[in-house]
Amino acid sequence: MSWLARFFRSKKPEVVLSPEQRERLERWQQLPDPDLNHSHFQTRYVVVDVESSGLNMVKDRLISIGAVAVVNGLIDTQDAFEVILKQEVVSDTANILLHGIGGSAQREGMEPADALLLFLEYIGKCPLVAYHAMFDHSMIARAMEKYLGIEFEQQWLDLAWIMPELFQDRIDTNVALDAWLNLFGIENIQRHNAVSDCYATAKLLQVAMARAAERGAECPERMMEIERVRRWLRRSN
Amino acid sequence: MSTNATQMLVSATMEFLRRHSPFDRMEGDALRFLAERLKLAYYHKDAAILTPDMGAARTFYIIQRGKVVARQAGEVNVTEYNVMTLGPGECFPIGAVTAQRASTNGYTAIEDVFCYQLAADDFFELMRMSSVFNLFCTQYIASLLNQSRQQLQVQFAQRAAEQQSLNTPLSLLAKREPVSVQPETPLRQVLEAMGQQRLGSMIVTDAEGKPVGIFTQSDVLHRVVLAGVALEEPIGKVMSKDPHTLQDTVYAYDAALAMAMHGIRHVLVVDGEGRLKGVISERDLFTLQRVGLRQIRQSVETAPDLETLLQTSHDVRQLALNMLAQGVGAEQVTQFISALNDTITRRVLELNLDKHDLYGVDWAWLSFGSEGREEQTFSTDQDNGIIYLCPDFMDKEQLKMRLLDFARDVNDDLDKCGFPLCSGNIMAGNPDLCLTLEEWEEKFTNWVRHPHPAALLNATIFFDFRTLYGNPSLGERLRKWMLSLTTSNPGFLKMMAHNALDVEPPLGKIRDFVTDLDPEHPGTIDLKKYGARLFVDIARIYALAAGIHNSNTVQRLRHSAKRLGISGEEMAAIIDSFNFIQLLRLRHQHLETEAGQAGDNRIHPDKLNELDRRILKESFRQVRKLQSRIKMDYQV
Repeated sequence: MSWLARFFRSKKPEVVLSPEQRERLERWQQLPDPDLNHSHFQTRYVVVDVESSGLNMVKDRLISIGAVAVVNGLIDTQDAFEVILKQEVVSDTANILLHGIGGSAQREGMEPADALLLFLEYIGKCPLVAYHAMFDHSMIARAMEKYLGIEFEQQWLDLAWIMPELFQDRIDTNVALDAWLNLFGIENIQRHNAVSDCYATAKLLQVAMARAAERGAECPERMMEIERVRRWLRRSN
Repeated sequence: MSTNATQMLVSATMEFLRRHSPFDRMEGDALRFLAERLKLAYYHKDAAILTPDMGAARTFYIIQRGKVVARQAGEVNVTEYNVMTLGPGECFPIGAVTAQRASTNGYTAIEDVFCYQLAADDFFELMRMSSVFNLFCTQYIASLLNQSRQQLQVQFAQRAAEQQSLNTPLSLLAKREPVSVQPETPLRQVLEAMGQQRLGSMIVTDAEGKPVGIFTQSDVLHRVVLAGVALEEPIGKVMSKDPHTLQDTVYAYDAALAMAMHGIRHVLVVDGEGRLKGVISERDLFTLQRVGLRQIRQSVETAPDLETLLQTSHDVRQLALNMLAQGVGAEQVTQFISALNDTITRRVLELNLDKHDLYGVDWAWLSFGSEGREEQTFSTDQDNGIIYLCPDFMDKEQLKMRLLDFARDVNDDLDKCGFPLCSGNIMAGNPDLCLTLEEWEEKFTNWVRHPHPAALLNATIFFDFRTLYGNPSLGERLRKWMLSLTTSNPGFLKMMAHNALDVEPPLGKIRDFVTDLDPEHPGTIDLKKYGARLFVDIARIYALAAGIHNSNTVQRLRHSAKRLGISGEEMAAIIDSFNFIQLLRLRHQHLETEAGQAGDNRIHPDKLNELDRRILKESFRQVRKLQSRIKMDYQV
């Protein structure tokens, strides 16, 4: 271990996991990576949305994770996930009003390490999907590092980039999720509820998958390429 | 996985479902069951959701958002729509999933569509759980039955309208190749040609084929015989000059008008250059118009000769078609065909009685089989016999010879009128079927007392007899004898029941229908052998058991219902099923014989539309019910 690593490590307290938690974590780590060259319609995507105490990716805390899977092209409500992480400090009232997870619910949430393990077990190594994935990824990765001591490096697909690339004829710029939901008439059951947002985003993913497949991008790998190309083009312009 | 997340999504699904019929009325636990099992799919605009070539439908769809269009596949449209648009809350394909077969509709998204999917197994479970959903699906299928009937009428009405239209151009009507001669042709040659080819008239044309005259049968008397013209004279001398011609571009209506105005029976059809193209007779136009029952009856009853009768038998078919077009049911149509065929047969008998003197003989003409049951379809051959009394003073052999001579002539004439000779020789001209009352009684007694296979087969033909002409009391006496035999011989009826159960309705365990029963005609079902006959056989047994005098299957079933303790509704369903099969036979025979093929009873279930297939399947289920009933009653 290099001195640099030792330096960083020393800054953070050692994560202590119970043997059972360690075992669960290892079991997840040993899962094989998914083959991203299978068709969308033979792939399990997990659409993820988080609620946090605020929008600051460095300071704010992860409060809950919601997820809905799209398996072989279909949304199965039986394959959905939600967990609230136990908070030591309850978020402020304005924040509570936004996502509706009240103070007591926050305090009675699951121990963060267990909650995150449950999440890992739910997603497996499946490709993750989000709208503005950067935020969800940062919040989750920071919590993973803090409570499980791991670097979370799951593959993400960001519909905020993919949608305008696939539907340039409709909206050719990065917009808020609601713009796409309105365009495709997708109803959001309960805005800013993690599961509800996931459900709406999952439907958007179905739309994206159909369009991508139509354009010859028939697997997750190709879909990720679409995102990379879009990001690169926008950056270089 | 996470119950909270799932609960939330399931509640949202239930909320959606509650906004739409029939889910708004659905029982709470059934609704939850459904919502928990639905999966959501997306289809982009123009995507095919379900097509007939996807095979048996294993998924039931409920539209969540967007519009789906259902298009009938195949050439036959029987539902009241060709194209139907479905919106949120509507579901498909109810029939195909229920029946576990391929959809006959193609379903395509016409906008972006989100669609719930339910696996077929869950669909069936839901039908079991929810009486609301069950009713919804059954009513849907029942409503299709009505649609099918209505559509059938429309289909026939269109066809009838096409055939009847006086707006038909003459070029389409004048199909027959005209027979013509030139003016210098000797009369003898012309008359010989007319005689041989049974022509009512001869057209005379010039060298270019332009009509210059016409010579009709009625001219023979006045212009040749009475005028004393030698047969060596040329036809040009006696013909009516400048016959009435019409261009082939004018309509049937014009021809009718011309005939009415000029009192003529024939109009010559010519092309643009004036060359003869054909002849239109009054009769050709007559068949175009709605042929009425009374007209036909009248024309049969006064028909002076076989030729007229033959024409009339064509009219019978046309009229039957009209009746189908007007939505008259199979029961009435088959009875009607039988009634008119009776009239024709009676006229043939009368015409022959002029030639054969049967004065003072007590006799009657019997019809058997489908004719006896008044269930004739378009293709029916002869099944008939004679019953007579031989008084002591008459020589029986001689009397029988006279009756046989007469019967054979009638058989031949009926053949000429479109009732083909019976291949099994079940005809009055057969000495075995031209019998005295006592002989018939003995015959029937033998069959009942010694029910070997041939006897049982005979019973299925001859026990359905009806008196068609002559002394009806002879037939009644025979019937009383027959019923007294059958009502007192349950053993015979048990054998009949055994025979009736030999053939099962061709319902498949995996596929809808069994279609490989006849190796020579794979993919087909013989609707007579595996359909109608099953009903007929059972109705006969019940009638013979209960002493019911009717020979008609529907009437036999109706009369049996009470005695068997079958409710009126239940019996109505059985009778409906029988009638539907008869209707399919009629339609099949009609459509086929028009195309020039021999009318048979073999239908291709794959070529039927979804509705008819479904109704046919239900009809077979009904006869299966009837079969298990008789199985129980006779312990076979």
